[in-house]
Amino acid sequence: MRPLGTGTIALLLALTTTAAAHGQTHLVVISGLGGEPGYRELFYEMGSSLVQAARDRHAVPGENILFFAERPEREASITGKSTKENVESAFAGIATSIEPDARLFVVLIGHGSAQGGVSRFNLPGPDMTAADFAALLARFPTQDIVFANLTSASGGFLPVLSGPRRTIITATRSGTERNETLFGGHFVAALVDEGADADKDERVSMLEAFDYARREVIRVYERENRLRTEHAQLDDNGDGVGSQEPDPQDGDGAVARTQFLATTRPGITTTATDDPALAALYTERVELNRDIAALRLSKAELAADVYERELERLLLALARANRAIRAREGGTR
Amino acid sequence: MIKVACNVLLAGAAVFVTPATWCIAQESAAAARSAYVAARYDEAIAQYRRLVRSAPTSAEAARGLARALAETGRYDDAIGEAERYERRNPASPHMANVHGEMLAQRGRLDEAERQFRRAIQGNASDSLTARLNLLLLQQRRGEVVLAMRGFDGFITTYNRSRNLSAEDITAIATAVRQLGARNPQLFQDALRAYDEAIAADPDNLDAQILVGGLFLEKYQGTEAREAFEAILERAPNHPRALLGLARARRFAGSSEAMEHVNRALEVNSSLVPARVFRASLYAEAEQYREAAREVERALDVDPSALDALALLAAVRYLQGDQPAYETLRRRMLALNPRFAGMYVVLAEVSARNRLYHDAVRFAADGVALDSTSWRAFALLGINQLRVGQMDRGRANLETAFAGDPYDLWTKNTLDLLDTLERYDEVETPRFRVAIDRKESALLALYVTDLAEEAYDRLADRYGYRPDPPVRIEVYPSHADFSVRSVGLVGLGALGVSFGPVIAMDSPSARERGAFNWGSTLWHEIAHTFHLGLSAGRVPRWFTEGLAVFEERRARPGWGDGVDPGFLIAYRDGKLLPVSRLNDGFTRPAYPEQLGYSYYEASLVCELIERDHGPTALTRMLRAYRDSQTTAEVFRSVLGIDLDAFDGVFDRYLRERFAQPLGALKAAGPIGGEGAGGGHTPDGLRRRAADSTDFVAQLAMGQLLLEGGDPRGAIPYLEQAKALFPEYAGGSSPYWHLARAYSATGDSARAIGELRVLTSLNGGHLEALLALADHVEAMGDRAGALEALDKAMYVYPLDVAVHSRLAELAGETGDWPRAVRERHAVVALDPVDRADARFQLARAYFRARDFDRARTWVLQALEIAPNFTEAQDLLLEIHDARR
Repeated sequence: MRPLGTGTIALLLALTTTAAAHGQTHLVVISGLGGEPGYRELFYEMGSSLVQAARDRHAVPGENILFFAERPEREASITGKSTKENVESAFAGIATSIEPDARLFVVLIGHGSAQGGVSRFNLPGPDMTAADFAALLARFPTQDIVFANLTSASGGFLPVLSGPRRTIITATRSGTERNETLFGGHFVAALVDEGADADKDERVSMLEAFDYARREVIRVYERENRLRTEHAQLDDNGDGVGSQEPDPQDGDGAVARTQFLATTRPGITTTATDDPALAALYTERVELNRDIAALRLSKAELAADVYERELERLLLALARANRAIRAREGGTR
Repeated sequence: MIKVACNVLLAGAAVFVTPATWCIAQESAAAARSAYVAARYDEAIAQYRRLVRSAPTSAEAARGLARALAETGRYDDAIGEAERYERRNPASPHMANVHGEMLAQRGRLDEAERQFRRAIQGNASDSLTARLNLLLLQQRRGEVVLAMRGFDGFITTYNRSRNLSAEDITAIATAVRQLGARNPQLFQDALRAYDEAIAADPDNLDAQILVGGLFLEKYQGTEAREAFEAILERAPNHPRALLGLARARRFAGSSEAMEHVNRALEVNSSLVPARVFRASLYAEAEQYREAAREVERALDVDPSALDALALLAAVRYLQGDQPAYETLRRRMLALNPRFAGMYVVLAEVSARNRLYHDAVRFAADGVALDSTSWRAFALLGINQLRVGQMDRGRANLETAFAGDPYDLWTKNTLDLLDTLERYDEVETPRFRVAIDRKESALLALYVTDLAEEAYDRLADRYGYRPDPPVRIEVYPSHADFSVRSVGLVGLGALGVSFGPVIAMDSPSARERGAFNWGSTLWHEIAHTFHLGLSAGRVPRWFTEGLAVFEERRARPGWGDGVDPGFLIAYRDGKLLPVSRLNDGFTRPAYPEQLGYSYYEASLVCELIERDHGPTALTRMLRAYRDSQTTAEVFRSVLGIDLDAFDGVFDRYLRERFAQPLGALKAAGPIGGEGAGGGHTPDGLRRRAADSTDFVAQLAMGQLLLEGGDPRGAIPYLEQAKALFPEYAGGSSPYWHLARAYSATGDSARAIGELRVLTSLNGGHLEALLALADHVEAMGDRAGALEALDKAMYVYPLDVAVHSRLAELAGETGDWPRAVRERHAVVALDPVDRADARFQLARAYFRARDFDRARTWVLQALEIAPNFTEAQDLLLEIHDARR
């Protein structure tokens, strides 16, 4: 194995992934029919906490958030009752005003069902099928879409909604997994609480949220020694086939890794400053991060010791750069 | 039906000289046959006798009489009847086959052969059966090529013949079954032919019994049992059906086997296979004298019975009587120079008695003698796996399976070996530990250290060092563990030791906290020492008792403890005396007896060490190695007769548990599902007025506690504890007191209860976790660390507990333990993988292992390059390493 030279680095840089589009984020959260008080409360809480976190933690503009729930009278932030009519009307409204490079996040919370091969999201009044949502999403041909159906029996939505520029997440792998899911609660928790930011970049990507929820579900089932009745899946390469363990290196996950609720990108990508020295450090940090990402992609092709030495060199440089940035910023981060 | 048929016949058949007599004879024959089929043998014999007297030339009547006599074991009478018929009808060949069968039952094989040939040459009505019998005789003598060629001819006979009788088809089926040894597909054909025979004559019970036997031979225990039960519904006393049922019950692991075979022998005390089967049950129960006596009775009937001779040889071998074993071996080879079955029996019996190396040797001898003995190949493979010869074992199992794809044991084991490919093997100085890859990184952290510690301590104690590496296999699937242990699923045990190989359930194979895996591992390693030191001759009761005793010496709270059920069984005379304690393991009389026997045996060991010194137990193992019986061991090592020791032990139990025995009143049940043990509150309150009633005190305390009155519960629970302080089970007074004190805010007392409880019962996960909570809240981090560390040997799969333990270890400066626990967190693959690796790196850094710290911090930063704390640590490590 030959040592890693600068030429290789340059080549690898071209392979690094780029971040998703930088337009505004629009979020539609639909909390469906509870059926009984316990579920009604649970679904409302999940939706409400997600909306609050989107606004407060992820800085999604309030005017870009729509929240439909079974009982709109519960709080002012609820846009309206989660009926099919209201949902369709809302999507029509967004379609008229959304920027071409914006991102649309849709999150369904509640019960789902599947009969005769048709998957449904249970709402007060008529249910909505995967085909209904397909028609609504067709109005957003240029936007990136993240569609997360966190309901039971949601697996049937994935092949219907899959397509270019779309990340589809379902709590189950098919319409036959009908038991109430744990995935939804953990997925929302990933976006609401700390703990899902696996790469410590101070943001939670859709892939991180999916992975967090998936692992937590497995952990619960294993701890309770039960057979798992839900297998969440993610599709972001448009092939209509979900991955239960998405791997950005191979198949699904590469796009979801770059998708965040947050519109702005704080932390490691910050470059705006009047201080030329700090600006240089920011630039160095960005470049080092790119180099590290490129090196990781080449891991399989390198001897282990070569890879480790190079990784250490880059990480030490990044650590020193970050330390210098913190000192210069005067903060403690 | 018979009457109607005869009337019709009479009306239109004037050609018969004496039609009325003929019809009467037919009616009597039908009645005799009916009695025979219903296993009313005395009635059948009487009927057939009348028939023989009235129709002395009737071969059918004479055959019926002989067969009815034979079913009750009166073989010599049957032979006499055959001889009388032949004197009356010297030219008739029709009795010759049955005559031969009766002679064969008595081992008079040459005479039997002559009779079979006579039936064939005379073209007797049952000449096809005679042909089969002759070939089976040749097979029994080892003339296998000749016999197989002959069996092959039956297929042609079947294809060319029309109007075959049920008996003929049964003979063909049996011949085809023999051919199955070379072409297993033919077993299916044999089964179809048996079905055809039964359809032709539903009264053909012989065919039905053979079907049951075929099912059993092919590991289809349920079908076999159903076949035998169907026969017994019609013929409740059919001795061979009873024997078949006994075998099917043994296959299912039921203790009813002995009961059924006893019934078979009540009907036919000369049924050689039943004697041999009963002997094998005795041998399994390590009752070698009884086994030998049974076999000798079988040999009185048939001195050439190879299965009986094989079992007797095995028993003599187990008894250490090498000359007798050799004599028997030569005798069998003289009867059949290719009798691999001898070695199959020797291998099976050796394996059942934990002599796995011997089983390998015998099975190898069997394979050498007969390269088509698939059972010998299977036993060779299975037992090679048990002594750690993994590759050779697998190869021989593949051979066995190719020859007999119906062998479920072999199939299951081969399937299991496929799964072993996803196991990691971790090497330590004395062990090779195979753990499923998904949990090897976690479990190896604990298994390896514990195993090495056990080896050192047990080697010191016994002055014996098993050859390394001892192989330990840890199974996340209990079904896989069960297959590894007994070839089939359904084993109730947690672990098994074959000596050089140990298999056990992983903690993930059971419910959270369901068993103390550390204690189980120690137990099985102890067996490895016992088996090695005694050359595999230690009886089950002693090695189990000693292993539990070793658990208790390993850690406080490990090993079984006393519970009320045990003492009640003792009080009610349901525990076995030491002299018969082995039965509690090999054929427990009631479900709980097995568990009680473990504890009882451990107390025996405790008493022996107390009264006879620390080396007595080791000397006993050596005496067993020298083939001494338990009675001889007690005499030679302890200087006491076993019967006398029964009395000594009884007094020991009575004295040791005098207080709780007095508190276990006969007034009501122990415990029960809910609080209060199933009593009504008022009834319980009345009963609890008796402060010497343990059950009432405990149940009353529990009832009050569950009812939200912890203060009211405490006096009852304290009294229960005072009455039976050694009881530390899942629902002991200690546990409830800890809860009650905790509820009243008295943490100090709660801690006291939990400390005692966990010192008596180290497997009480909830108590260990609660203790850690309480003492940590009181600022006792070392105490919390100790409690959580113990919990790891019960349930190591909770990432939060590992994190907490790691933090405590770090806070107390115990960095090696912190490293271990941080490794555990990483192994459990938490969501925050970067942080888990960073924490591990930090622990290594604090332990001043900078190289490993570097490795792990790089892993953390590889996942999360901008992880600030990890970056700082990387810089620190970099500086430290310069």
